Amino acid sequence: MTIGPVPQESALSIGPISVAPVDAPAEIQDIVPAYETRGVWRLALEVFLEHRLAVIGVGIVVFMMLFCFVGPLIYVTDQTTTNLNNQFFRPAVSGHILGSDQLGFDLMGRLMVGGQTSIEVGLAAALIATTFGVLYGAISGFAGGFIDTVMMRIVDAVLAVPGLFLLLFLAVALAPVTIWVLILVVAIVAWLIPARLVRAETLTLRTREYVQAVTMMGGRGSRIVLRHIVPNAIGTIVVNATFQVADAILLVASLSFLGLGISPPATNWGAMLSDGVEYYADGYWWLVYPAGIAIVITVVAFNFIGDGLRDALEVRLQKR
Amino acid sequence: MSSRRHWRLRGTVTLVGLAATILAASCGSGGTTANKTTATFAEPPGASPNYIFPLMPLKYFSINNGDQFQALLYRPLYWYTTKGQVNLNTSLSLANPPQYSADGKSVTVTLKSYMWSDGTPVTTRDIEFWQNLVKANKANWAAYSPGEYPDNVTGVTVNSPSSITFQLSQAYGSYFFTYNELSQITPLPQHVWDKESATGTVGDYDKTTAGAQAVYNFMAAQSADVSTYDTNPLWQVVDGPWKLKSLNTAGALKLVPNTMYSGPIKARLTEFDEIPFTKDTAEFNELKSGNGVIDWGYLPQQDVPQKDQISSLGYRFEPWVDWGITYFPENFTNPTSGPIFNQVYFRQVMQLLIDQPTFIKRAYNGYAYGTYGPVPTKPPSNFVDATERNNPFPYNPAKAVSMLQSNGWTVNAGSVSTCAKPGTGAGQCGAGVPNGAKAAFNLEYASGTPALDIEMAQFKTDFAQAGIQLTLSTAPFNTVIGNAVPCSAGQACKWDMEYWGGGWSYTPDFYPTGDELWATGAGSNSGAFTDPMMDSLITATEVSNSVQAMYAYEDYAATHPPVVWMPTAYYELNEINTHLQGVDPLDPVLNLNPENWYWQ
Amino acid sequence: MLGYIVRRLFQAVIVIILVTLGITLLLHVLPGGPARAILGPRVNAVQIAQFNHDNGLDQPIWVQYGTYLGQITGLGPVLGGHGWQGVNFGFSYRLNQSVGSILAQDVPKTMLLVGLSYAIAIIVAVPLGIYQAVRRNKIDDYALTGASFFFYSMPVFWLGILLIGVFSFTLHLLPAVGPQGDNVGDLFTQLPALILPVATLALITIASFSRYMRSSTLENMVQDYVRTARAKGASDSRVLFAHVLRNAMIPILTLIGLSIGYIFSGALITEALFNYPGMGLRFWNAGLQQDYPVILGIIVIAAFGTVMGNLLADIMYAVADPRVRYSR
Repeated sequence: MTIGPVPQESALSIGPISVAPVDAPAEIQDIVPAYETRGVWRLALEVFLEHRLAVIGVGIVVFMMLFCFVGPLIYVTDQTTTNLNNQFFRPAVSGHILGSDQLGFDLMGRLMVGGQTSIEVGLAAALIATTFGVLYGAISGFAGGFIDTVMMRIVDAVLAVPGLFLLLFLAVALAPVTIWVLILVVAIVAWLIPARLVRAETLTLRTREYVQAVTMMGGRGSRIVLRHIVPNAIGTIVVNATFQVADAILLVASLSFLGLGISPPATNWGAMLSDGVEYYADGYWWLVYPAGIAIVITVVAFNFIGDGLRDALEVRLQKR
Repeated sequence: MSSRRHWRLRGTVTLVGLAATILAASCGSGGTTANKTTATFAEPPGASPNYIFPLMPLKYFSINNGDQFQALLYRPLYWYTTKGQVNLNTSLSLANPPQYSADGKSVTVTLKSYMWSDGTPVTTRDIEFWQNLVKANKANWAAYSPGEYPDNVTGVTVNSPSSITFQLSQAYGSYFFTYNELSQITPLPQHVWDKESATGTVGDYDKTTAGAQAVYNFMAAQSADVSTYDTNPLWQVVDGPWKLKSLNTAGALKLVPNTMYSGPIKARLTEFDEIPFTKDTAEFNELKSGNGVIDWGYLPQQDVPQKDQISSLGYRFEPWVDWGITYFPENFTNPTSGPIFNQVYFRQVMQLLIDQPTFIKRAYNGYAYGTYGPVPTKPPSNFVDATERNNPFPYNPAKAVSMLQSNGWTVNAGSVSTCAKPGTGAGQCGAGVPNGAKAAFNLEYASGTPALDIEMAQFKTDFAQAGIQLTLSTAPFNTVIGNAVPCSAGQACKWDMEYWGGGWSYTPDFYPTGDELWATGAGSNSGAFTDPMMDSLITATEVSNSVQAMYAYEDYAATHPPVVWMPTAYYELNEINTHLQGVDPLDPVLNLNPENWYWQ
Repeated sequence: MLGYIVRRLFQAVIVIILVTLGITLLLHVLPGGPARAILGPRVNAVQIAQFNHDNGLDQPIWVQYGTYLGQITGLGPVLGGHGWQGVNFGFSYRLNQSVGSILAQDVPKTMLLVGLSYAIAIIVAVPLGIYQAVRRNKIDDYALTGASFFFYSMPVFWLGILLIGVFSFTLHLLPAVGPQGDNVGDLFTQLPALILPVATLALITIASFSRYMRSSTLENMVQDYVRTARAKGASDSRVLFAHVLRNAMIPILTLIGLSIGYIFSGALITEALFNYPGMGLRFWNAGLQQDYPVILGIIVIAAFGTVMGNLLADIMYAVADPRVRYSR
């Protein structure tokens, strides 16, 4: 699910490279005695907190959440009634901090409301995509054989269609686009990466001794998948999920830019940007920059967090 | 191979036509025009000529194929604009005004002396050829409406090479039949095109139905390959003021004067070019660059604030009116909202809530005009009467609220009004409107037009004043059109209102009778509106020889709206090089007449 | 090795079939069908029936799919006894052109844009990524990482808008709209117009490619063989150049392989923003206008290109890394 260039996670999805080296967890067990396994997560947290950019990322995300969800309670504006007599006010005119847009809405308030949608869709799409993808990949990897082949071929088929094409096509087919259609469309394009990743992890984990032990003891497949495989792949899953949120926000923005986002009067940052671009040449710069900066900052923040998480959970790279 | 060299030659020609945009330090006007002999027209974004055969199917039916391309080569029988107004133009028509019999059941057309470019005269055989082809291939004729032309021509008599008589299925009024039916005829060169295959000989194949279909299939196949247009000898025989020099698949068109044109005006330019743009920003960018490549271009609606900058580059600003109206249909077949829409007072209430002046000023920057009925108010014409022109329902939210209340509704401004007094008596909601019915509708409109987004957002706010709650949604233009269809039995019927941002362009049905629009069962009656009074008034416009029938119909349609009238935007906001003369007045049916143009 | 390639080719064919089947099903599940959308508001029932008949839309869906498959593989006429007539992607509903000729015009233009961008990106990103890996956790690594995150997190169109704003509206140096033209030759004559679209795509690609190079270089640097080399007394630079770099070439091959895949798809938003007349823009317009043959044709070509690109990448990887050949 890419817009063009290769995001880190699909690079990871390339078959051979994505298989985590078999001996990594063993190293942890060398360093940390068995009764101190909780310390692994403590260790990860410490590494994460050392990663300055990741901490900044968390700070930004928290700020954005507050801005978008708590902000409107403090800076109250009317975001449902249009007033065409208030179009295009420059920033700091008539009490509009960031000016007003083509419908007369206060831009700062619009930014908050738009942010709510952007973040909600991003989180929801990432959650659905990750959940579905993880289960799909785990089942496929664990089942192996013919089922695995068929399931993976389906993934390949959907992956073969360039993400944005698929996205566009779905958006046109499912028009009009409501918030749930948007979440669904983004999730449909996004679940492939976690599926592939988790399948690769499952293939590795499947050969673990504890998995074999449970199987010998008569444990059912679903129990093994849910109780043993998924939790052990959680590191990869969480890292990927964070990147999914970032990508989902970008995808929503791109869809809106192409005119296939949520219908008015709901708005999101991408729609604000795409509307603003129409008026950019007329000199109304405040319709363009705030929304764009908001997107970039939020997506950067999630990417920082994901990067930090990956470093924290990739124990091999630590200098200890 | 020669075709490869030809291809590269065309590439170079395209290159020259488009011109490179180097450092866009835009200042100064577009070069000297003293010795210019060609003119370049910017095609509307995403719409380019791509079909040359005048008997075109609906999917190729467009202004850029018809009015702005084919009509320059193959003149229609009659011309309907004179001095910027819709009026039969005897001077530019190929025939004298049609003569109707006393009973209105036949009409005789007498051709003037026109020549095809190969020296053969245009005769009534060419009209008969058109007639036969259309009759045998109705489904492939864009303007076909069941029951109308050619169904209503029961017989054709060729009296002489210059006189032809049509027998009609019933008595028709002269306005309707001349402006809407005879307008569909384009004489085709029978002596060149009456073939069934490329190697076959010309014959009278069109005289049999099977033959006419074979000829049509052959010609349509020839027209399906744009890259062969300039070499195919079939397209070289024309009777219009221009001949095709080249057309490529991107839509770049080059025309040269037809020296054999028999019409009143001979072209002064040596070449007329049309250049394609996939998006209006691309055209605007080219215009702004000051290179002077575009002689007749346009200003995108959202860039009106930059109008003066373009004027300083040597262009004059001229909005182009289209003979058409803008509206959107409501769904009268929707089980929940249909009965509400059926109430005349409710539709009048809706019209009262539409603040056309504000939309025009704020969404269209002043470049639109009000629509109050089925007859376009611009350009001035004999067909508009005072009732419609003066807007029977000017914006008045207070009146809308009181009208709703006096018809049994509880008005909840800002939320949803409900029907409190159901029933068919006075002061009650009306037949089929249950107790507690909500005035809540969904309105889907076409995405991609900034002006429309602004208009619709304000529209929703204005309707909320009377408690009519609108749920807006957008979809691509083509999807909206696809959805605006009357519901059929057994199918989910969800839409209430669909607005594709346009409405109807009265071409080639220049006399705005509404028979294709709001007559019961009409082909383009998107909401399945039905009203016996409307039907009878429409029929009257078709059979009456007096324009009073038009006034009666239009008054009724303005006061009992079959659809929701919306402001009509100008077709284009043109920027025309100040040195290019002969351009005015702009043709309201969007024809191009570059044979009138000259440089000064 | 040959077995590997054959197996993958077979899988690729299956994938293409699945893709075409999926899209065809989706298209025909859409309510209403394309007739009204294509023909516009003037249409009446007679014309709709004619349109559906002309385009085979009144057939059952499995017949439509079979016909389509036969057309695009060229096997349809063969099985029908007409002999080989070449592949046929159908005829556009709107553009009065065969889909094949549309593809022939548009695909080279997209390849030009994406090819240029990705070539520049690889040339810049590889050394950049390696440099970052070597200077890990120092200040310049942080700065470069921050910068590449910044570019990587930008929506493509936002970066494009910024570049247009600076270079076109403010500085008047470059055109705001991409090169316009019918064929690739035309585009080459408008080189200044090509700069902004290529720069937009390249910058974002550099950001992600350099991150990838950085992390895979880092992965290599902690491998056992590096420790062995260091233990044997090799200097850092010798370790880097003689050992790590060679193994880092493998991911570069992957990137190149992926780029080949993206050539068919990766520029849709850039094309839309700059109005660049490539495959992406064409797909967007066809999608909005419900021009099914063009939509299907472009998806088939894009899927085919992506699959072939990935296959190429995998083959290159298998050639370079013996471990892969013998695993699954």
